[in-house]
Amino acid sequence: MKISKKIIDNLKKGGVDFYLSVPCKLLANMIDILENDKDVYYSAVPREEEGMGICAGAYLGNKFPCIMMQNTGIGNSVNAIVSLLQLYQMPVVFLISYRGTPGEPVGAQGGMAKITEDILQTLRIPMLHCSSEKELDKISTFSKHAKVVESPVAILCDFNLMKDDK
Amino acid sequence: MNRFDLLNKVQNILKDNLVICNIGLPSQELYKISDQPNFFYMLGSMGLSSSIGLGLSLSQNKHVISIDGDGSVLMNMNTLATIGNRAPSNYTLLIIDNGSYGSTGDQRTFTDEKTSLKDVALGAGCKNVVECSGEETVNELNKAIDDKDNSYVIISKINSGNVKIDPIPLNPITIRDRFRKFIGKVKYL
Repeated sequence: MKISKKIIDNLKKGGVDFYLSVPCKLLANMIDILENDKDVYYSAVPREEEGMGICAGAYLGNKFPCIMMQNTGIGNSVNAIVSLLQLYQMPVVFLISYRGTPGEPVGAQGGMAKITEDILQTLRIPMLHCSSEKELDKISTFSKHAKVVESPVAILCDFNLMKDDK
Repeated sequence: MNRFDLLNKVQNILKDNLVICNIGLPSQELYKISDQPNFFYMLGSMGLSSSIGLGLSLSQNKHVISIDGDGSVLMNMNTLATIGNRAPSNYTLLIIDNGSYGSTGDQRTFTDEKTSLKDVALGAGCKNVVECSGEETVNELNKAIDDKDNSYVIISKINSGNVKIDPIPLNPITIRDRFRKFIGKVKYL
């Protein structure tokens, strides 16, 4: 719970006040925290691409949105990221559980893991890669950066960082 | 009645609300009929008008009308479940259902065959789902906006067909900023 709490605390410190998720077991603790947090909006959504649209609307309404998802969700959302969030320069934080990184027990997750950073790089999305607890301290500044540069940004949380966060 | 006729009929209602308008001909036709700062024209991301409007209605109190099409809703049907479970009362989804992909050359969609978006929306959990003719749409839209306790999905069944029209000349940041200024969220313009 310590890691998940630290991530949410830092996102909130960075100004994020609107959260969506497409669930992942590595995000489960964060979802629990958000479901009980009266200060911010939280909802699950069925699909990441749709979540990008909801985040865009939330930004237009002056919220600072975050969508939590597995890295597979980036694959589901490329057109929405480029022709909506980037076209209109909308700051949105992607909080990504980085499935398929070392420690991952499910071999099939390795495919998207191999290309996730390449996709984000191709999309010119700033990345913060968190593999240890210490790096989580950068999340609040990194989130604020999304607003300054009016762009989506991606925070990648490695499997091994999240897996023992009981 | 085709889409252009319908947009002409509802333009006075749209003027008083926040409008998210679907990509392609719907936005181009609306721009030609009456350009307003409170109209957000989609220049990409087909399928997401309903979702953008939902996020906007959850974030502020003004009434939001998402103008969508049957082809676009078919592309993003999962969001009907999100709307059915989460849409606040300041949200109306207006689906202009002409049974065709108008912007790409009027190819038939599945709503011209077996699919009923009304049944899909009801099954997804949307409570107030109205299917009506183009002529009845003004009345149904007014009812949806006047009801301060419920969100609505209105499916307006019209004929296919488009008018000859140019792309929207506004750049995306202009569309974004004047829209946010209208809501009162942009101070620097």
